[in-house]
Amino acid sequence: MATTRPVPGRRAAVIGGNRIPFARSNSAYAQASNQDMLTATLDGLVARFGLQGEQVGEVVAGAVLKHARDFNLTREAVLGSRLSAATPAYDVQQACGTGLEAAVLVANKIALGQIESGIAGGTDTTSDAPLAVNEDLRRVLIQLNSAKTLGDRLKALRGLRPGQLAPEIPRNAEPRTGLAMGDHAAITAKEWEIGREEQDELTVRSHQNLAAAYDRGFFDDLVTPYLGLTRDQNLRPDSSMEKLATLKPVFGEGPDATMTAGNSTPLTDGASAVLLASDEWAAERGLPVLAHLVDAQTAAVDYVHGGEGLLMAPAYAVPVMLARQGLTLQDFDFYEIHEAFASTVLATMKAWEDPSFCKERLGLDAPLGSIDRSKLNVNGSSLAAGHPFAATGGRIVAMLAKMLHEAGPGRRGLISICAAGGQGVVAILES
Amino acid sequence: MGTTVLDAPPSMAALFARAALTARGRGGDLPDARLARRGVAVDPAEVAAYARVCRFPLADTLPVTYPHVLTFPLQVALMADRGFPLALPGLVHVRNRIEQLRAIGPGESLDLEVWAERFARHRSGATVDLCASVSAGGAEVWRGRSTYLARGASAPEGAPEADVEVDAADLAPGTITWRVPDDAGRRYATVSGDVNPIHLSGLTAKAFGYKRAIAHGMWVKARALAALTGRLPDAATVDVGFRKPLFLPSTVTLATAPRGSGWDLAVRNVKSGADHLVGVVRPL
Repeated sequence: MATTRPVPGRRAAVIGGNRIPFARSNSAYAQASNQDMLTATLDGLVARFGLQGEQVGEVVAGAVLKHARDFNLTREAVLGSRLSAATPAYDVQQACGTGLEAAVLVANKIALGQIESGIAGGTDTTSDAPLAVNEDLRRVLIQLNSAKTLGDRLKALRGLRPGQLAPEIPRNAEPRTGLAMGDHAAITAKEWEIGREEQDELTVRSHQNLAAAYDRGFFDDLVTPYLGLTRDQNLRPDSSMEKLATLKPVFGEGPDATMTAGNSTPLTDGASAVLLASDEWAAERGLPVLAHLVDAQTAAVDYVHGGEGLLMAPAYAVPVMLARQGLTLQDFDFYEIHEAFASTVLATMKAWEDPSFCKERLGLDAPLGSIDRSKLNVNGSSLAAGHPFAATGGRIVAMLAKMLHEAGPGRRGLISICAAGGQGVVAILES
Repeated sequence: MGTTVLDAPPSMAALFARAALTARGRGGDLPDARLARRGVAVDPAEVAAYARVCRFPLADTLPVTYPHVLTFPLQVALMADRGFPLALPGLVHVRNRIEQLRAIGPGESLDLEVWAERFARHRSGATVDLCASVSAGGAEVWRGRSTYLARGASAPEGAPEADVEVDAADLAPGTITWRVPDDAGRRYATVSGDVNPIHLSGLTAKAFGYKRAIAHGMWVKARALAALTGRLPDAATVDVGFRKPLFLPSTVTLATAPRGSGWDLAVRNVKSGADHLVGVVRPL
């Protein structure tokens, strides 16, 4: 694959971030809307960086599960926040890649000099979900609304059925396959022979790492309490292989099914935001730069007819970005591979180690190789924290930037996030 | 001066009924009695319901008007008592002043205390102030003062002149438009407990001399402040005067104008142009 080295120019700096603790579905945030959570998260960021009444270049955020009335979700959140009302905003939506994509969009505008500062974020609630009227009822109502005569109206009303009272509930399923994301992941897990034990090991480590990070105060300047929560509600510091072993598989079929509610992320509510800026903007305010966003890449795979796994796109995106930057997979101090499912992380790493996958699917002469597991998700990831879809990117960018900053200058981190629709968003941060 | 500490909020429906039945033959001076509740925990679900009706976002601090909902039942209990000189039915809420000394977290344990003071002469009767103080951890965090007018009533000898004028500037017409539906009173009654019949339906309002149900003044105030979310100082005085009743349903506009780091505001009827509420927000 032909790649061009980009001309090194201005890079966007990550100044910091804020998120609310992630809550399990229908729990602490059951009454909170996406707008409530995003507004609270922005206000926390404003308080942390003294942005009260300030105008930033742009606020970019989104939600995966979104009410039709929230067409201008991010702008509405800005108007309800302590940012200047003159701050422009727009929504993006790229499934679970939303938050990272938002950060890339803000960073690109900063790199181009179109804005000096910006906030990228995301929010999702599976509790305050956008129920819609039944599709058949919707058609009747549209017909009724456009009816011009009494006869037309009566004709439209004849289409009413009691069963149409059942609402359309958003499902975590692929429209083109009808399979839940977990079912897709189970297919991939089987294909790559990902065992139950290694999935449970990754899960335990995620909980332990996140708990340890909380205990040493790592999240003190990354998380603001909300509605009574101070830590992610899904976090189980006492998670163990024994406890996880008792769980029955929920995705996949037959005796060799491996994916449980423990080694899959639960439905979660939450929001996150990241402050990005030019170095000059940060210097003017005396704000330290944690890291720079060096590069980003998206990829997509044909999971419908092409025989590739739904969540495997990051495996394709990463080598493209590495080639462009002249880097190898081993040139990183930290790896943040989003734990949609433990098996997804493991399958992705196994694919990069696999000569035939790397040759035939990625078109590489040699496999990308393995990564040092001690550098993987060292402060926990989505299995422990939870995964409010659009909020995960912001959680990872802010956390990784802080990790790189603490490790010292010249350190590098890789972010890999898989998304519905067979997509992936990946990025490189450097301190 | 005696302070009675209650373990639970009194039932407002029962209080309104008792106040109506014992309305006649009241008089004399204000009682010295105070009512209090200690260690009150706010119910997150109730705050969420209140926030939804008043259009506040669900934030990690209580809506600035929410402590009024906590203290109001105690104030009604004071007024419903036979010893209170004015009859509760017929009292008109003409002014409400809130001083929030700092933002209050939803998990804070709150001490509430209410009392009545400033029995005053008014050109069309007498006014009385129902006051409330809310403390957390021994420090006062919120103060409320509701001024009620009793038409035709008379204040005792030597009472001061009523103070009901809020010093708000004349504002240009607002662009924020609310279509206030006819169930606005019932909705606010559900989340505030203020089941005064004049707010609930046309029929019950007529029984008390109003042509239609009227919106709760405190709902109008809350919604106006909710519209300024993110633009209010954490420590602030919010002082509003309630002018013409807001009959339900109505379409009204909210006008806002910045004044230093505060605001002037007015809620005005689209048809008649009459002010329903004028108010000021000033940093403390």
